[in-house]
Amino acid sequence: MARILPGEDLLIRMQRDMKRSLAADRASIKWSMIIDLAKCAGCHACTIGCVAENKLPPGVVYRPVIEEEVGIYPNVRRRFLPRPCMHCQNPPCTKVCPVHATYQNEQGVVVIDYNRCIGCRYCLVACPYSARTSDFGEWYTSDTPNPEGKMVGRAKASESYEAIPATEYGKQWPRRAHDSPVGNARKCHFCLHRVAVGMLPACVTTCVGRATFFGNRSDTQSLISELLGSPRIHRLKEELGTKPSVYYLR
Amino acid sequence: MAIIAVLGLIIGCFGMADRFIYGHLHTGYGSYMPWGLWVVFYLFFVGLTAGAFLITIMTYVFGVTRLKNVGTLSAFTVLVALMCELIFVSLDLGHFERIYRFIVTPNFSSLMTWFVIFTNLMLIIYLLECFFLIREKLVLWSTENRSGKAFYRLLALGKIEYTAKDRDSDHRIVRLLSIISLPAGLLFYGTNGAFFAILQNRPIWNSAMTPLLFILAALLSGGALITFLISVFHSDDEIARVLGRAVFFILVVFLLLEFIQFFVGYKTGLTSIMTSLDMIVNGPYSWTFWVVHLLVGSLIPLFLFATGINSPKAITWACLLIVVTFVSVRFNFLIPDLAVYKLEGLEQTFSHPRLRTNYTPSVNEWLVSVWIISLGILVFISGIRWLPILSSEKGGLNNG
Repeated sequence: MARILPGEDLLIRMQRDMKRSLAADRASIKWSMIIDLAKCAGCHACTIGCVAENKLPPGVVYRPVIEEEVGIYPNVRRRFLPRPCMHCQNPPCTKVCPVHATYQNEQGVVVIDYNRCIGCRYCLVACPYSARTSDFGEWYTSDTPNPEGKMVGRAKASESYEAIPATEYGKQWPRRAHDSPVGNARKCHFCLHRVAVGMLPACVTTCVGRATFFGNRSDTQSLISELLGSPRIHRLKEELGTKPSVYYLR
Repeated sequence: MAIIAVLGLIIGCFGMADRFIYGHLHTGYGSYMPWGLWVVFYLFFVGLTAGAFLITIMTYVFGVTRLKNVGTLSAFTVLVALMCELIFVSLDLGHFERIYRFIVTPNFSSLMTWFVIFTNLMLIIYLLECFFLIREKLVLWSTENRSGKAFYRLLALGKIEYTAKDRDSDHRIVRLLSIISLPAGLLFYGTNGAFFAILQNRPIWNSAMTPLLFILAALLSGGALITFLISVFHSDDEIARVLGRAVFFILVVFLLLEFIQFFVGYKTGLTSIMTSLDMIVNGPYSWTFWVVHLLVGSLIPLFLFATGINSPKAITWACLLIVVTFVSVRFNFLIPDLAVYKLEGLEQTFSHPRLRTNYTPSVNEWLVSVWIISLGILVFISGIRWLPILSSEKGGLNNG
């Protein structure tokens, strides 16, 4: 859509929208994300930012960026599709969880209770977007040698990153052999631990192209609400009736 | 057979130790292929529990009362198969220690919850049925001069006298349990199929035919197993012929439904369905479909049934082939549908072995499977040896 370039960084605008929503009735908040595919440069900064923010171990990814080449040479280009959890308004995953470990919170975010999840992986199979991954307990540094002497070994290497507890859902999750989140399903949660203190999700702030927008779609004054009126708006797999809260601008 | 099972138990211990020490670290499945060999075997053993279901249908629906004689063996087989199935599925969980959550925070909209409920129902029904079928013999053996009397008395819950009134009462209870087991069995096997059928975006699973196919698959594999066991342990040719005809009929119907599934799938022309079906017929494990399932597990048994329907030997071999190869049917049901990426391009984007759909069971998965199957065989053999499962006077610890 044709717009005059904003006078302020969109992150500042979204931050302001967020503070307004958090100061008002929190029960009426409905978080949504919009990803502008025309601006996404496929840099994968959001993927890595998310991995770093949530201390994701090997094999766990919340927001991969799908790349696709279209056209035939010389009329060829690449297009990119970041795919976080869709936070469906009619989520198929919450219905299949046998122990209510995964559910939709009052703000529309589909969350996982790490202390309740039995690790059956039924929700992974049920998700039509492959948005969930399972933590099998892998370590980046498992094959790093640990010699005595001057070399930095496994212990030091893991201290700098993966031994640091993740802070998902407002708690500390130290990385131990069998304790959660090892053995659990894991997925994007819109960085609720950041949102709770008025910060935007990591993928939004990391995005170099300002292609990812986040906000409360119940707030008619928010940037998200404005963008939801765009004719370019669409969602993935609409025909399934999952009603994602993550939208895309073509 | 017992020696092979003991060896299997010993070898499998390495896998079990790895599973308990390292969790799922040394398994071959991942996030895009979340279920693997253990779920395949779990489905396989679910099917094997249906032998008693078939016996009950034929006894109480079709009036083949002669089959009542094999009630004890079939009920005991169900218990052993349920034990194996439960161990497989428990080890597949990421947090087995949280299974109490099924009682504390159950989600009744999840078919997994209902499957747990019906599994427990089946366990209770067949445990009771087995108990009341062997109670008379347990009481008798606990009063005879044989070693292990105390053990039989314990199993008989201290009962020292068994009257005609007890016999009538036990027969009534067994009849009632058998009748209850019919709808319970339908719910159990149907729920098992619906568990997969209700999932969106699963090209082959998401079909009304899936629960029906599950019921048939269970009747086929379970029926073949019980027919084989009866041929070996009861040597009753007439029962073998009756059950052989039933298994023959079920095999034909099952293959017909399978053909319809492929025919409709390919005719539909939907990419996702055809990709899944192609993975079965053309994929890296297509030999499990063409050779193991179709040739060894279907065509050869069909030939044996057709040419030797009155020959107990032909029936025994046919049923053995069906049972042993049925793992391939479960494998080709589970793996190909999981192996279709739900979003195109996902396979190239974030590289890790856990984020692929190509799956090969790891050595550890095989070792654990060997341990559980060996345990099942040992429990079965032990039960036949030391409990009055078969209708004979043999058994008891002094004959062990």
